[in-house]
Amino acid sequence: MKWVYRIVSLIAGLLFIAPLVWMLVVSIKKEGMKIVTLVDWFTPPYSFAVYHEILSGTKLTNWTFNSFFVAFCVTILTVVFAAMAGFVLSKLPFRYKTVMFFLVLSGLLIPGEAVIIPLYQVAKDMGLLNSYQGLIIPALASPVAVLVLKSFFDGVPNDLLESVQIDGGGTWRIFTQIMLPLNRPALASMAILTFIGSWNNFLWPFLSITNDNLFTLPMGIPTLMSQYSEDYVKPMVVNTLASIPIIVLFIIFERQIVKGVSLSGIKG
Amino acid sequence: MKMSKLKADAQALLFLLPFLAVYIVFTIWPMIKGVEMTFYKWTLIKKMKYVGWDNYQRMFHDQEVWAAIWHSAIFVILTTPTMLVLAIALALIANRQSRLQKLYRSVFFLPSVLSVAVASYLGLFIFQPYNGFVNTLLHLIGLLPGHQEIFWLTETTLSWIALTLITLWWTVGFNFILYLSAMQDIPDEIKEAARLDGATDSVLFWKIVLPHLGPITKTITMLQIISSFKVFMQIYIITGGGPLDKTRPIIQLIYQTGFRKNDLGYAATMSYLLFVILLILSALQYWMNNRKGADAR
Repeated sequence: MKWVYRIVSLIAGLLFIAPLVWMLVVSIKKEGMKIVTLVDWFTPPYSFAVYHEILSGTKLTNWTFNSFFVAFCVTILTVVFAAMAGFVLSKLPFRYKTVMFFLVLSGLLIPGEAVIIPLYQVAKDMGLLNSYQGLIIPALASPVAVLVLKSFFDGVPNDLLESVQIDGGGTWRIFTQIMLPLNRPALASMAILTFIGSWNNFLWPFLSITNDNLFTLPMGIPTLMSQYSEDYVKPMVVNTLASIPIIVLFIIFERQIVKGVSLSGIKG
Repeated sequence: MKMSKLKADAQALLFLLPFLAVYIVFTIWPMIKGVEMTFYKWTLIKKMKYVGWDNYQRMFHDQEVWAAIWHSAIFVILTTPTMLVLAIALALIANRQSRLQKLYRSVFFLPSVLSVAVASYLGLFIFQPYNGFVNTLLHLIGLLPGHQEIFWLTETTLSWIALTLITLWWTVGFNFILYLSAMQDIPDEIKEAARLDGATDSVLFWKIVLPHLGPITKTITMLQIISSFKVFMQIYIITGGGPLDKTRPIIQLIYQTGFRKNDLGYAATMSYLLFVILLILSALQYWMNNRKGADAR
């Protein structure tokens, strides 16, 4: 029984990693080789020539930078904006609080995909098409982030806030010195999920960007691929190059990412 | 808080402002603007002319729209149960003490960080006949005779299977982690007590582990249904909606109507149909969760 379990586990593990290994192996094959069986992929001759060709002859590095830059800005700003809003909804008394809360809550029911057509029109009217601002700003409106952070902030005892106030601390100090440090895991979790979401965002860049200097990876890759119909090597080089940075990040931050994902399940 | 009411209100508003401004301009306002668009012939260049309820009438009689909705629904039906089973199975593997435990966790989650474009193109090439990974693997282990090829992406049923497999591979990581952490939350004492009572592994799984996963399963199911219904990019890259538009999901149709056929007004109308469907799905889910909760009491 134990052996069956182990073998099934091993097969599952191999099946999960196999496509990536295959991608890597195909990417270092020489172009134009005759492939008959699976073994042919996994045997030399190997060559890195296509890597040089893609790196110097295409805008792939440029697009990778754009993807990182956009994801980075979106992540920082989303978390900051959502933390501020979540803090107000959780801890500050003010008029129309209930109205505000329901306004944010109703945003959960509006899927981005359902407003993408009018969003295009709005962004066009504002002159945001084909710009970094256009890629970043519309992505910052995340009611989910506000509500998740609010529910974490709700867990901070009010006594703690009052003691800071007695010491003469203002609202800003409560926010930056109590709320944010105490909820660091929640903020990190939110940041990680936002980053991955932005990294994968396809529909909006696809509609709003036509200048290929501003492409993000999900847009740039299809553009390149449509030119390569001959062989598997170039597409897999593109895939590999586009994946290396995010895989390196994953290896470095794996513990935090896994923690972030599991934390999102608690309040989600 | 000892502040004047006015000052407190102003301060709260100041904190809310950055989020609220973006939210209103880029979510609430488009939502309202979109309603206007549905009553017009509206192109990529400009608003053309008022057409009343024409777009709606056209939509309700448009076979393509209902076919696309059905394709999105098929994708939900295919991916949701398989996702749950696979995520639980992988979590069971990675929850078991072994030297490879950590490695399994990394390997199962790794595909989830890939860009959607990378995952899709990898899928496209993996399922090619002749040199693709899947067919050559099937040849190698003898499941497929050497002279035969499976044309995954030119036949409707096989296309759906390929799309489902790629999507599961690419996205199961998140749900796998959610299940894994839920399993790790089960107190060891409970398991040990059950073992002392002579419970086998399978009894332990069915009577203790699985019931414990109930709440997180509800959450995952709901999120999965909604996100599967919004599928677009994998299908767009891998099958292009084909063969013969037989796998084209609703979002692809909205995109093509708006940006290829230059008809934003009609595309906006379809978006509202999508919105209503997603709203109904959320409401249904909410109602079911609450009803089940009531039964348990």
